[in-house]
Amino acid sequence: MEAPIAGHCGPRGSAMAAPGQRAAAGWGRRLCTAAAPRPWRLFGALCLLRLPRITQPLRREEEEMAALMGQIELEKSRYSDHEIRKLEEEEQLKRRKESMYDDDEGPGKTVIMAQDLEDKWEQKLLQFKAASRITDADKNNIRTSLNRKLDSNLMLLVKQKIGNQELWLLPQAEWQAGETLRSTAERAMAIFLGDHIQAKFLGNAPYGLYKYKFPRSIRTEDNMGAKVFFFKAFLQSNDLSQAELKEDYLWVTKDELGGYLKSEYLKKVNQFLLDL
Amino acid sequence: MSAALRQVLCLGKKTWLTQVVALSRAATPQESRLCAAGDVLVGCHRHYRSRPTHGIGKFKYLLPPEAPKRRKDRIQMKEINVGTEYEYGDINIQMTSYDMCLVEHFARYVHKLCNRLSIKVNESYAMPTKTNEVLFSEERGSKMQLDAVLTTHQRVVQISGLSSTFAPILLEVIQSNQPEGVHLLVKEHTEADFKIRLKARPELEELLAQMN
Repeated sequence: MEAPIAGHCGPRGSAMAAPGQRAAAGWGRRLCTAAAPRPWRLFGALCLLRLPRITQPLRREEEEMAALMGQIELEKSRYSDHEIRKLEEEEQLKRRKESMYDDDEGPGKTVIMAQDLEDKWEQKLLQFKAASRITDADKNNIRTSLNRKLDSNLMLLVKQKIGNQELWLLPQAEWQAGETLRSTAERAMAIFLGDHIQAKFLGNAPYGLYKYKFPRSIRTEDNMGAKVFFFKAFLQSNDLSQAELKEDYLWVTKDELGGYLKSEYLKKVNQFLLDL
Repeated sequence: MSAALRQVLCLGKKTWLTQVVALSRAATPQESRLCAAGDVLVGCHRHYRSRPTHGIGKFKYLLPPEAPKRRKDRIQMKEINVGTEYEYGDINIQMTSYDMCLVEHFARYVHKLCNRLSIKVNESYAMPTKTNEVLFSEERGSKMQLDAVLTTHQRVVQISGLSSTFAPILLEVIQSNQPEGVHLLVKEHTEADFKIRLKARPELEELLAQMN
């Protein structure tokens, strides 16, 4: 349960807890003293989500249930105004045909019958063509476009150089003194996507934490490892043409993450991803 | 009934048994009549004032005193809770749509979700429906006017005591479960939101203006 604790007492608290842990056995959370060195480097990472644009298709049981409920409701319901009008006019027509008298005709009635209205509406409906759920990007599996997989969340993955390895990661930036971790994440977004992105952060608390120690060769007393704090943001605008993407980037769903991220990292990221 | 009782009390112990028998025979048809009527007067069970069981069953004196209820209580606005730094105050989740069943189902879902997550729901109400008439005028040949009547329904769920660490998670869950065609708006509760629900009384306002 590191993430909520980290969020609650601020990121500095957890960084201070680490030397406390090394010195004493238990989780001594001491007040931060400016002189103590910080062996953990802090990063703020951003999980930029594009929300789904259409709903997921219903499963078989859901469809059957929906059909059954619709049938029950239809049989239990009363007639609406339009249906009553339609029934009355049908009866009038029938009466006129049977009895063949034409009182009530009047001077050339131009009354629009309910049936005519329905025909007109049907025609209008046929003219309307809905866009297809599976777009071109889906068929060609172009992972860099935002038009893929319209019914699930898409996340941004960027290739970054860590140490001497090029890895696929959620975009992250190092924390600088004097800024909140959330602004670090915003800075990461600005670095990778440019300034004109409309993304909405929902809160100041981070969603997850990934801690790792540097390999022994680089590890020193002052530089034990790094902690990456994840923040979530939602893409407001669908138009990324203004974004200047410098390095390789991908938009992937939760299932496809496994093909790109390392297992430990993936485990932590999966903990805070909602896939409804 | 009381006459029979008085007889029992006046007479001595010797004749008590016979009188009791008479009393019971007299009592049962009356009792059945009373019970059959379903009346509140279960008179046969009334504990008389001189008996030690007088007043058994009373409980109103144990309850805390209630303020006397005025008949026409003006609807007072409840105090709007302005949250602290780590907690939000009263928040309105407003859901609007053209389809009433959809928006009601969604409001019910949000309410039950908040119950499950132990978030206090203050109230859950509906705003009055707005009806819009859409007129198309085709200008090809005969000018026809197709009408469409659109009704906009709005449901509001008011919650309070949302912590700042939990708010983004709740918002994300509600956003992911939003059905198509439903607009979602989450905002803090203000006095204006409360006043919208009340109807304006023009005659009263006129009279007040005349007075002043």
